Amino acid sequence: MKWRKFVGLILAMVWLGLSPLGAGQDLFIKNGTLLTITQGIIHGGDILIIDGKIKEIGQNLTPPKGIRVIDATGKYVMPGIIDSHTHVALSGTNEASVAISSKVRMKDVINPEDPAIFTALTGGVTMVHTMHGSANPIGGENVVLKMKWGKSSEEMYVPYAYRTLKFALGENPKRANMMGFSAQPRYPQTRMGVIAIIRREFAKARSYMREWERYNQLKKNKKLVSFILPPRRNLRLEPLVLMLQGKMVARCHTYQADETLEFIKLSKEFGFKIGAFEHAWEAYKIVKELAAEKIGISVFADNWAYKMEAYQGIAYMAGFCAKHGVLVSINSDSGERIRRLFNDAAKTMRYGDLSEDEALKLITINPAIQLGVQKRVGSLEVGKDADIAIFNKHPLSAYTRCEMTIIEGEVYFDRAKYLEEQQKKAAAKKPHKKGGQK
Amino acid sequence: MRVIRNYLVFLLVIGFFVSSLPAEKVKPTYAVVGCRIHPVTGPVIENGTIIIRNGKIETLGPAAKVNIPEDAEVVEAQGLEAYPGLIDAYSQYFLETKSPSGSTAQRRPPFSAPAEERSWDKTNFLVLDNLKFKKTTLSSLHKAGITTILVTPPQQIFAGVSTLLNLNGEKFPPMVLNDKVFLHLYFTTSRGGYPSSLMGTVALFRQSFLDAQHYALQKKTFLRFPAKVSRPEYDAFLERLLPYVVEKKPVVFDCANMQDIKRAINLIEEFKLNGFIAGANEAWRVIDWVKRAKNPLLVTVDFKPPLGSRYANLGEELKKKAEKEIYPRNPAELQKNGLTFALVSGKISNPKEFIKKVTQAVEAGLPADKALQALTIVPARLLQVDSYLGSLEPGKIANVILTKGQLLTKGCQVTRVFVDGLSFEVQAPAAKGAQAPSVNLSGKWKVTVVSQMVTMEMTMDLTQEGSSLTGRLTSEMGNWEISEGTLSGDKLTLVIAANVMGQDMELTFEGQATKDKITGSISFMGGSAEMTATRIPDKS
Repeated sequence: MKWRKFVGLILAMVWLGLSPLGAGQDLFIKNGTLLTITQGIIHGGDILIIDGKIKEIGQNLTPPKGIRVIDATGKYVMPGIIDSHTHVALSGTNEASVAISSKVRMKDVINPEDPAIFTALTGGVTMVHTMHGSANPIGGENVVLKMKWGKSSEEMYVPYAYRTLKFALGENPKRANMMGFSAQPRYPQTRMGVIAIIRREFAKARSYMREWERYNQLKKNKKLVSFILPPRRNLRLEPLVLMLQGKMVARCHTYQADETLEFIKLSKEFGFKIGAFEHAWEAYKIVKELAAEKIGISVFADNWAYKMEAYQGIAYMAGFCAKHGVLVSINSDSGERIRRLFNDAAKTMRYGDLSEDEALKLITINPAIQLGVQKRVGSLEVGKDADIAIFNKHPLSAYTRCEMTIIEGEVYFDRAKYLEEQQKKAAAKKPHKKGGQK
Repeated sequence: MRVIRNYLVFLLVIGFFVSSLPAEKVKPTYAVVGCRIHPVTGPVIENGTIIIRNGKIETLGPAAKVNIPEDAEVVEAQGLEAYPGLIDAYSQYFLETKSPSGSTAQRRPPFSAPAEERSWDKTNFLVLDNLKFKKTTLSSLHKAGITTILVTPPQQIFAGVSTLLNLNGEKFPPMVLNDKVFLHLYFTTSRGGYPSSLMGTVALFRQSFLDAQHYALQKKTFLRFPAKVSRPEYDAFLERLLPYVVEKKPVVFDCANMQDIKRAINLIEEFKLNGFIAGANEAWRVIDWVKRAKNPLLVTVDFKPPLGSRYANLGEELKKKAEKEIYPRNPAELQKNGLTFALVSGKISNPKEFIKKVTQAVEAGLPADKALQALTIVPARLLQVDSYLGSLEPGKIANVILTKGQLLTKGCQVTRVFVDGLSFEVQAPAAKGAQAPSVNLSGKWKVTVVSQMVTMEMTMDLTQEGSSLTGRLTSEMGNWEISEGTLSGDKLTLVIAANVMGQDMELTFEGQATKDKITGSISFMGGSAEMTATRIPDKS
């Protein structure tokens, strides 16, 4: 209890901004082991950050006068970790009342005060793809955020990422595991029903799109007469139209190999893009198909068999798929596991035989590619955003710890400073009251 | 000659009509003399006189300049302050809260659509049809100096239409100033059906407004080209939305936290609504948004940090500090940024508490004159009644309150209120024969209520200031506010605003108190029960 109180106190301090962590967008990181991801390892490397962007990377750089210098001697510097699938920083996850809830947008319910944002920072995570849940065959529009703890939802929002729509197959949209409590039976109840309702929705979207095309064509050709009305706007179908037009991609929650293939077939039928399959515990059975279609997966490193359709998971999955040409990212799906994605990435070296570099890609450049933000983040390269995590040991070591997390040149988490403040605050607080609050 | 004769005939005719109008109840004429007048829209008048005739302020000014009419009843108000009656522009007094229609068991039969279609649509809920008069509520409002209230519908996504009341008696029809003031909207969810999430609610708002726009266009086009266009199918919900979406009648978004404020502003801007923002005790956290959007503000003085706010999540200590020091600065912060706003009670259900919280906002930096405006002329403007309410000016409706001590300072007491020119004496809290309290009862108490039917355990928090007590009772049945409490010597009286199985009722406790024990009886609905309370020792 005491421990919890202590942590609460510390978090309180940081959250209230009583401790001005590093400010400013210029920064100089000195003499670290730079794990650039895309350009190898630079020992004794420096990074110059100007205006939140990486200006220079190399050895023996000279810091400009007056710049804040962070000594990374003996430390490991890597790009900020990207979580390709989570549900943090939201007020609500599922619009579970209906099978097709594509009219909802996670952008409308960003919660910049979710403590999980801070948790993410303590594990070096700088960007997340935070998603609608999997209660519906078609969920809602997801959103990409940077973990700028203490800033507004608008400042966290990443406008240049892909627009993505959540789909879900299998037990969750069937509500197979929900009979006990919330759920009244709801169509669809079977996997064939799930695919059918998605197909039906795309068919509707296609005719809705044509309706608008016809209307806009008349308008363009000045043949519009005043009694012809524009079609009624349908927010449920609009995201699907964007998908048909290639302006939005699917992120599809799936487990079984068969239904995963079924969804690929559907995407070809309607000509939409699949950004990645989520969880996909049977992806190792269909690596050829995934690699051929250039469809990535966003998965757990381990932790399977939590329900029937997850029983065929294997520890080698992420590594095996990556070795066979599938773009793999490791996700947290959780506000807690989000702080140890580097541990999860390391598991793929033991199970899956990935190299250090390959393992690190699973939580950096690969999720960046899946989100369409690889030109901005995901590696340490000149011109990219200075989203950086600094570790005391190699991030894939079991003994590692994230020491500092930086977004666009601004320090959002500094472990040493944070601990120091906690101790100060705790000292100022004594003597401890008996009883205290829970 | 003929012209003059015609003129005379005309006068006679007019005179006939005027005299044959149904005789209105003649309201008394009052001369309030010797008070300091705070007109709000003009400078303070020392030793002033206010003449109230036929429900209106006939004239007001310094004693020397105002003649006291012969027929006037003189109200001696030496040493008293006179203000316009206060307006609470966002409250739920007198509202008979009803649980959503349809029993929960029947709401969702298996394998069918939800039984209650559009359970979120209460656009046809008129507050006026759902009021229940309570004398104690009226007198506690008067006692706080409040003479005009906007009563808002219970929380629902599309919640219903509010009513504005002038608290001039015991019957609603004569009180009503406007039975359709705002359409009220909440960022809440619908139980059992769509929408079950906040994002679903935002989507529902957007789709509904889009549909209303489209429906209006369809109707318009049909009327222009009845031969070419098919008649749009009647939709009761969209019909009721049209005045707000198309004609831009005002809607109010209830904003429980800073993100709600942004959500509201986004919707108001996307659909060009005439949108008000209510609640908004976190407006200070999104001040740039509020400044830019310039929506009218009905700002609550409920200073509890909202659920989910970092100020509510990090332990009791911070939460208390936030409620006591941080959130009370919200009105001052808005004022500093050049924003005008009405101060409203919102979730505070006790008028005395409401005024106390406004006082707290003043202590936290809101200039007292701005606070007074925020309770009078500003809400009058926002409610579009400023031509006849909201200040002391000749010709305006005589909503006047007399107080001992300046309003919004500690110890201020309202002694008399005039509403629509009718006088209501306000019983002074410390009646004659009252004694100074002999004990301080502040703290936590364990309460046992024993009646013939049941024995009930509760905990009670009391805060004593002088001879008055406030607090709450917590039990399995919920949280009940102590709406009034007085201690005279060791004699204790508490009025408890209880809610038993959805039914609002007032319980009165009378008994005796020592430092650690309270005994007495509690009466309710004609019954009574023994109540004892023992002090729970403070662990610190």
